[in-house]
Amino acid sequence: MQYSVFELSKHLGVVPDTIERWVRQGKLPVSRTGKNYQFRISELKKWAATHNICLNLSDEDPAEKKRESIISLSSAVKNGGIYFDIIGDDVTSVLRACIKKMSIIHDDFKKDLFDRLVEREQALSTGIGNGIAIPHPREQLSYLNDPAVSIFFLADPVDYNALDHQPVSVLFFILCPALKMHLQLLSALSFCLRDAQFKRFLNARPDPHQLIEKIEILQTANPI
Amino acid sequence: MSTLKKGYSILYQWLFHRDDRLLLIIAGSVAGICSGLAAVALRLSLQTVLEWLHPFRHYGWAFVLPAVGALLSSLYLEKIAREGAGHGVPEVIYAVSRYGGLLRFRSSYSRLISSFLTIGSGGSAGPEAPVVMSGSAIGSNIAKFLSLNERQRITLVGCGTAGAIASIFNAPIAGLVFAIEVILGEWKFVNIIPIAIAAVAGAEVSQAIIPEQVIFNHQTFQVGLLDILPSLCLALVTALVSVVFTKTLQQSGKIARTSSFPLWVRAVFGGCIVGTIGIFMPVVLGEGYHFIQEMISGTFSLGVFITFVAVFAKIFATAMTLGWGGSGGIFAPCLVIGSLTGIVFHKFLLILLPSVGCAREGAYALLGMTGIISGVMQAPLTGIFLIVEITGGYEMTLPLIVVSSISSTMSHYIEPASFYFKDLIERGQFLRPGTDARILSDLNISELIETRYTKVSGNMVFREFIEIIKTSRQNFFPVIDDRTNEYKGMVKISAIRKYVLDPGMYDMIFLSQIMDTEVMTVSLENDLQEVLEIMDINGMETIPVVEHDRFVGMISKTRILDLYRRELIVQTSAH
Repeated sequence: MQYSVFELSKHLGVVPDTIERWVRQGKLPVSRTGKNYQFRISELKKWAATHNICLNLSDEDPAEKKRESIISLSSAVKNGGIYFDIIGDDVTSVLRACIKKMSIIHDDFKKDLFDRLVEREQALSTGIGNGIAIPHPREQLSYLNDPAVSIFFLADPVDYNALDHQPVSVLFFILCPALKMHLQLLSALSFCLRDAQFKRFLNARPDPHQLIEKIEILQTANPI
Repeated sequence: MSTLKKGYSILYQWLFHRDDRLLLIIAGSVAGICSGLAAVALRLSLQTVLEWLHPFRHYGWAFVLPAVGALLSSLYLEKIAREGAGHGVPEVIYAVSRYGGLLRFRSSYSRLISSFLTIGSGGSAGPEAPVVMSGSAIGSNIAKFLSLNERQRITLVGCGTAGAIASIFNAPIAGLVFAIEVILGEWKFVNIIPIAIAAVAGAEVSQAIIPEQVIFNHQTFQVGLLDILPSLCLALVTALVSVVFTKTLQQSGKIARTSSFPLWVRAVFGGCIVGTIGIFMPVVLGEGYHFIQEMISGTFSLGVFITFVAVFAKIFATAMTLGWGGSGGIFAPCLVIGSLTGIVFHKFLLILLPSVGCAREGAYALLGMTGIISGVMQAPLTGIFLIVEITGGYEMTLPLIVVSSISSTMSHYIEPASFYFKDLIERGQFLRPGTDARILSDLNISELIETRYTKVSGNMVFREFIEIIKTSRQNFFPVIDDRTNEYKGMVKISAIRKYVLDPGMYDMIFLSQIMDTEVMTVSLENDLQEVLEIMDINGMETIPVVEHDRFVGMISKTRILDLYRRELIVQTSAH
């Protein structure tokens, strides 16, 4: 297998000019076919090894890899699900009722998740004001495969020790296997919640399909 | 036919492409033979013209002879060959380090002709540098003919140089050492074998054509331990003389350049002075091989005082020849001055301590030569090996090493740059492989520049900009004019933090109000050395590159380190 100047320049992380200069100076193993330079991989590997130079032969761009881990809020909501009419009188009972309904969490782990969420609430309330709370564990959940955002509408508003001391009626659970996704989802969510129209829309207890559509519209306006 | 062709191409690939050693050895020996022939040609023609002019030397008007020679030589170089005066060795060194040994074909004969005119008429200069120039140009053009790369071409330039020196002195090892020590500046395994073979080829050429005129016949000397102490003193003397010689050469060149006369008038003036000295002291004339031979064999008959004066007369005559427009090298004058110094020293020694049983006069002449070569060229190995080969034995090795090392160290202490390198260092063109200067000169600005930058317009509202920086990884945003695309200034994220954190400002300001227009910029024409200097002075980590008012990209120190390291590895690797 052979590389052209342009391909090799990508693998070495230099510009094609540098490759051409090295060839001219006789510092790179090259085979010439007509006017074009060709580089054999076997020779390049030997060259890189003797020169202690890093030859990044994998085809994917490191920047591409990072993009993979990005997940949109709407698909996370689809993962997590939307639930209505949760009953409870205080923080712990509401949390217990929500977790019980959550289909994405296996029954064996529900106790663990509950403990973690309560611990987080005791440290600092996640009620961010305007009747909304975003409960989430501090550490990420290893037993989760995909990030999920579950939305729960309470039957009656509950005193949640929120920052603005208003009772909470909607909860967004953010559950992620990795911290990076958590921050992304949190940022995307807070963008949506800052939107006054969206807040009014939430208070109207919308249909799940409409809600996901609305989130999709908002997240295209604010790409991550 | 086609199978024959195919077979040939496979053989060619197998022999030359995969491993170029065989190719370099063959091409190198051709270069060695050609440059050897050039050296022999110059030697023979110099010999002939000196003999032919000899009867005229007794006339009073003979002092104009060097003037005529210098005049013709300077006119030839200036009008016909259109090459600079001087001896050519720095040019070869610069071509090797900067242009991969690229030399014009014209250089392979132009210096031969001009130095023939200068030296043949009696000017005090050496034929070695012209022959080196010619040999290296031959090597370079052979490489060009075979379309070799720069590394291979440099090796062939070294081959030509080695062949020339080996041929003129019949000293192959001295040729090899000179080529590597002075011209190439790097002892690489891949270079040494082809150059050694070329040196042997060059020496064989001269032996085959002019066996009876080999410059220095082998001589053997009995040198004992008693000579070590005098050698030490001689080394100090030669160090001093070398410094005087180097300084005189430079001064005379400087004075000549500041005078307002055209080059040919200067050449005539210098030549007349050399001719006048030559009437009273013929030892200063020409390349002086004949006198060197006399001094080594002990048949040199001048008295101690005259010899002492002759040392300085030769220095002065050489300075007048080379500094004022003549063409030639300093190698032979170094040898003459060295042997004269050695003889003076020996004579003084005999006067002071008549009963000490030290070696013969010739041995001290040789030691003096080593001392001056090591001192002026600061090439101690060349000095040692040249004399070892001249004597044909190793009896004198110990005092040679003593003289050579002390003389080169002392003169290096007084005058840090050798004669060959001084001009290059002053012009910032001394670029030995693996040195910082060489790497910086090889790395081009266009190779370092990072161009993937989002540009913003000066009319952009700050709120819009906040949206851009949310999703961008950039720390610097070049601001350009909407209409003309002209570069206006730079927005540094680190410098605008207080506005970013204040939402009240978002709709109040435009980017043209918060951009920094004082940021230093560089252009693609700047070399890396200058760019780094600007960055260091202003304490910058990154610097924008702006060409014709257009933003091109940024150069960061991180990127420079990355490429600098790779360039260093690639340049200094054994292959």
